[in-house]
Amino acid sequence: MIKRILTGGAALAVLGIGGFAIYAWHPAIDEIAPPSADSFPEAQIEKGRQLASAGYCASCHTSADGAAYAGNYPMETDFGTIYSTNITPDPETGIGTWSLAAFERAMREGIDRDGAHLFPAFPFDHFAKMTDEDIAALYAYLMSSVEPVKATHTENDLPFPLNQRFLQAGWKMLYFDKGQYEPETDQSEAWNRGAYLVEGVTHCGACHTPRNAFGAEIATQQFAGAAIDNWIAPALTSDNPSAVAWNKDAFFQYMKTGTTTYQGSAAGPMAPVVHAGLKDLPDEDLLAIATYLGDQVGADDMAPMSNPAVEKSLAAGAPQADYRKEEGERLYATACAACHYNSVQIAEGRPDLGINSAVRLDDPTNLVHVILDGVHADQGMEGVVMPGYRSALDDQQIASIAAYLRDSRTDKAPWVDLEQTVTEIRAQGALAH
Amino acid sequence: MTSFTINGKVIEVDVEDDTPLLWVIRDEIGLQGTKFGCGIGMCGACTVHVGGRATRSCVTPVSAVAGAEITTIEGLDPEGAHPVQTAWRELRVPQCGYCQSGQIMQAAALLQDIPEPTDDDIDAVMTGNLCRCMTYTRIREAVRDAATAMKEAASNG
Amino acid sequence: MAKLKLPPRGEATAEMTRRGFLVSMTAAGAAFGFPRAGLAAMDPAAPDGVPATPAGAVYEPSLWYAIDAEGKVNVNIIRAEMGQHVGTAIARILADELDVAWEDVSITHVDSAAKWGLMVTGGSWSVWQSWPVYRQAGAAGRMALIEAAAAKWGVAPSECTTQDSRVISGDRSVSYAELVSEGITRSFTEDELKALPLKPASELRLVGKDVTALDIANKTTGKTVYGIDAKIDGMVYAAPLLPPTRIGSTVASVDDSAAKSVKGYLQTLTLDDPSGTVPGWVMVIGETFMAAQRAADKVKVTWKAGPTATVDEAQIQDHGRALIADESKGSILDTGNSDTAPVFEAAADQISAEYTTATVLHFQLEPLNATAFQNEDGVWEIHTGNQWQSLILPSLQAALGVSADEIVMRTYMLGGGFGRRLNGDYAVPVALASKALGGKPVKMVMMRPEDVLFDSPRSSSVQALKMAFDADNTVIGMEHHATAGWPTEVMVPSFMPKGTNGEPYDPFAIAGADHWYSVGAQKVRAISNDLANTTFRPGWLRSVGPGWTNWALESFMDEAAHKLGRDPLDFRLSLLTAEGRNAGSAPNAVGGAKRQAAVLQRAAELAGWGSDLPADTGIGLATSFGQERDMPTWGACAARVKVDRATGQVTVEKLHLVVDAGIIVDPDGALAQTQGAALWGLSMALYEGTEIEAGNVRDRNLDTYTPLRMIDTPDMDVEFIESSEVPVGLGEPATTVVAPAIGNAIYNAVGVRLRHLPITPEAVLAGLKA
Ligand code: FES
Ligand code: FES
Repeated sequence: MIKRILTGGAALAVLGIGGFAIYAWHPAIDEIAPPSADSFPEAQIEKGRQLASAGYCASCHTSADGAAYAGNYPMETDFGTIYSTNITPDPETGIGTWSLAAFERAMREGIDRDGAHLFPAFPFDHFAKMTDEDIAALYAYLMSSVEPVKATHTENDLPFPLNQRFLQAGWKMLYFDKGQYEPETDQSEAWNRGAYLVEGVTHCGACHTPRNAFGAEIATQQFAGAAIDNWIAPALTSDNPSAVAWNKDAFFQYMKTGTTTYQGSAAGPMAPVVHAGLKDLPDEDLLAIATYLGDQVGADDMAPMSNPAVEKSLAAGAPQADYRKEEGERLYATACAACHYNSVQIAEGRPDLGINSAVRLDDPTNLVHVILDGVHADQGMEGVVMPGYRSALDDQQIASIAAYLRDSRTDKAPWVDLEQTVTEIRAQGALAH
Repeated sequence: MTSFTINGKVIEVDVEDDTPLLWVIRDEIGLQGTKFGCGIGMCGACTVHVGGRATRSCVTPVSAVAGAEITTIEGLDPEGAHPVQTAWRELRVPQCGYCQSGQIMQAAALLQDIPEPTDDDIDAVMTGNLCRCMTYTRIREAVRDAATAMKEAASNG
Repeated sequence: MAKLKLPPRGEATAEMTRRGFLVSMTAAGAAFGFPRAGLAAMDPAAPDGVPATPAGAVYEPSLWYAIDAEGKVNVNIIRAEMGQHVGTAIARILADELDVAWEDVSITHVDSAAKWGLMVTGGSWSVWQSWPVYRQAGAAGRMALIEAAAAKWGVAPSECTTQDSRVISGDRSVSYAELVSEGITRSFTEDELKALPLKPASELRLVGKDVTALDIANKTTGKTVYGIDAKIDGMVYAAPLLPPTRIGSTVASVDDSAAKSVKGYLQTLTLDDPSGTVPGWVMVIGETFMAAQRAADKVKVTWKAGPTATVDEAQIQDHGRALIADESKGSILDTGNSDTAPVFEAAADQISAEYTTATVLHFQLEPLNATAFQNEDGVWEIHTGNQWQSLILPSLQAALGVSADEIVMRTYMLGGGFGRRLNGDYAVPVALASKALGGKPVKMVMMRPEDVLFDSPRSSSVQALKMAFDADNTVIGMEHHATAGWPTEVMVPSFMPKGTNGEPYDPFAIAGADHWYSVGAQKVRAISNDLANTTFRPGWLRSVGPGWTNWALESFMDEAAHKLGRDPLDFRLSLLTAEGRNAGSAPNAVGGAKRQAAVLQRAAELAGWGSDLPADTGIGLATSFGQERDMPTWGACAARVKVDRATGQVTVEKLHLVVDAGIIVDPDGALAQTQGAALWGLSMALYEGTEIEAGNVRDRNLDTYTPLRMIDTPDMDVEFIESSEVPVGLGEPATTVVAPAIGNAIYNAVGVRLRHLPITPEAVLAGLKA
């Protein structure tokens, strides 16, 4: 989940132009009496619930020990910390007195009921693509089914002038395209449905598309992969480094279970995206997303087992009598192979590291994270864990395992400054993800 | 509070999130068949099953297993008659026995994923489990015997 | 310490016999001597380790066992169970002679009450020492039961036989259970005992057959109770903070302010140890294991380090070399003729070489632990796994300031011993912590790095060997000078015999050098490395000295053979002539060197000695008599290795072992012990070894210490020579022959002679380049 993002506020520094204040100004929308729960049809509420999951609303709007949707989840930025807002229907501290129009303006324009600009840590640039109907469903769900909680918003910890919300308008002026999603007529219905969801509510690009210096997604590099929350969100294009390319089936399996046999598992910030988010969408929506993303990668449907990369990976994992010759290989043989070894085929839940994207990315970050802190039962393949070696191995030892895997399992260039990377990631603390 | 299932029972423990699962199992829950050898994930004495996968509990923080299903040596089979345990007794594998809970849990998981393991498969997977009494020759044989027994049971069943 | 003297072997056995029966003659008494004995893990077949209470009337023919009214026989075992299935082996000896059904037998590993006498489990002595004692005890019980049945039926005892827990005469038969419930009080005089008939070997039913060890089933279900599982109501946990040197460090300051925030932290104790076992120790006390550990991370202690804080392995080894060079040092063993100087002066030719071995860790898989408290009766209880209760009890008494009858040790199953738990020093800090807390139960489980830091490692060693030849290339003299840290000197100096020059020596640190080869004048000089002794606390580690003396001796034998251009097998056989002091003697060493020659020849034959081998492949031979001259276990190993010239990697393709250990009481157990011992030998030959660095061992855990694992385990073939001689030990002997066999095989494969253990690929490569 995005908790570390550039504030669009960086843009303000260069925007001293006249007339800007007028452009930036928006009126408040009148308060309403909180609508009663039974004023929304069941079906609309259910749809809203699925969309809320798929948009991970709760992930960003719930703090570690707080109530669901009550906000105050801290998001680190390069400039300071932003706290998410309370979106429970509490009339005083939440959105209880927001009308649908106020809600829709927030979703589409990033402007709250009072008329203040929201920081683009809130991905309104994606939500703007949603249909009126979907936004209304989301509104219905939040107003009817979420427990109102009184929780006052923690002041953002941003220095002046970055804390001046009206200056966000400048960012929007430069980077924000307000339009709703327009289907592409030469694509299938499923493809368009997938594109609608991906560009809109599931806002995949928020993490997987690189951002410019002002924190805006770079349109020309859509899904090219990016660093996020001290992890790497891999490319969702043909640049993805997995040895067995992602295709529709793989994306579907991944969103359904949190893992694929041939590519990798949803760890780090991606874990809740699957487990607390996408999984709630109906299968046909997941298939639609898989169709769209599969097309982005452009992979064929080759049966993975006959893929030479798989065969190579299996061969590289065979036990070696001289495994003691290098530290990394020796440590791997004793600490890792018991789970990661595969025989003639790759067993689900035994990730084969020769094909796993973490070993093949240009950046070792994800692999190092996982060696240090493992994978919890609610991440990756549900109910299965990988232990963490934070307290067991030192930086140099972890670096040697990573280097060994990179060298023995891939034909990619060695990672540089590995040990330094481990030191840095270790310093982020065990709960960095 | 972390809650998970262990040997079929749902339990809740109130310990710090980073407490190794091993010590929760041994000291909080009181199941002492799971052993402590190295504490760094390199001897396998502490191996349990989490979600059916062999997992070294000394390097698994308890917070990682929230909601998961755990099986320890005590829960592998109600009568202690899992084919791996039977093979272990028939070949009299244990010496001091201290590593054997972990060996048995690891072997049981191995046979689930690789029902007909070759010597290479056994070496690759079981090399992570240290036996200081060096019962390796018998472990190897017992894994093979258990594989045969499981295969026969499957074809008769 | 003077009281600790272990009697010579024969006496130990006589002492066990006498004591066992004296007790039974005075009172039958309860089977278990101490109050609340049930709290310890003593019956390895019971799920909670607690022995069953005997049913109804009990007959106790000797201290060593009791038969109850249901015919159940409970055998008391004073040895520790650490994987050798010792209780089963001993109980089987008794059950065989008593003619009791195996299903009726259970065992109890007893506490350390004085009546049990000396308690030690080591030296591979257990079966050998117990053999005559338990046979006699069984025969006595059988006699008593026969007499009771005979009286009942009004027949002569000679008309009765026994089988499967029943006395039989003609078509009458009665169960032991019935006889015992009717009451038996028969006791025996020493003369009667001596006159008891023992079964001939041909009639033994359990000895020599496979029975499943009583401790095995629980070890497959996690129910076995080890020291680490000890639980006492109300116990707190201790995490130790170890000083920078083993000896001579003092605590300068302790600051626990940061630990106070740790939930469950109680207090930090600076130990005051009158026994001198753990100087400079600090114990952090917590409500739970984790609380103690977390708090210990936050307690800051500064020490004034002892004098060995900068000592390293090279210094210790150089010191050893200097000691060897100084002819005035050390103790000369009695080899008949140790006057080698004139022989070497007159020699036509000679050969000499130096061999070294690195420091080795025990790394028993169950980390050191102990639990201590004062019970309701005011008696201090020490719950732990231990191999030599009698050795540590005096230290515990000194630490606690109590007398012998105020303290008892309850021995749990051991998660590995290998000699580490002969030295029970780890119980002392726990007793001290409990004392400081007014007798409250305290449990200490060491984390692995502390366990290793506090290990009593196998000392590194330096050995210099020389051999003299006459003009016909006949061997006319040999010298073997060996120096290492001496465990016996450090831990039980009263146990050291004196050499011919009046100097005491550690028999365990030199055994093996006093071999059975007839080499003419023979000088064996054992030298204590005092720098090692003061830097760490040298320990007895599986096979102890023979682990390094045979490495040197058997490598050297090959070197000598090659120098003379002789076949190493023929050369050895020509010296194993079984003459003079090498002819052997009854009862333990019947046949002498002949039996050693036989196992060697057999191993060579099995391995295909002399046949053609692929390139860079070689077979190496080595032989030894196991542990000590007065209890020889004859063994030989043929190792086939392949050497990778590019990497120096040595692959052991096959090990053949042939062992003559007299009667094999427990064939499957004997095989298991020999397999384990041989693999230890292999592990120490190629994979283990650390160094002393800044006063402590360098490697602390498995990330850098790399013992043998599954993938390193070669194909192994073990053969026992059939024999009706006295059964001797098997726990260690196979350890001694593997390393030299591998060294010799490497030489035969690629012509590189290695003289240091462990053998590393780097050393092989260096040899190939030289
Ligand atoms: S104790 Fe967990 S692997 Fe050694
Ligand atoms: S049986 Fe003792 S450590 Fe394996």
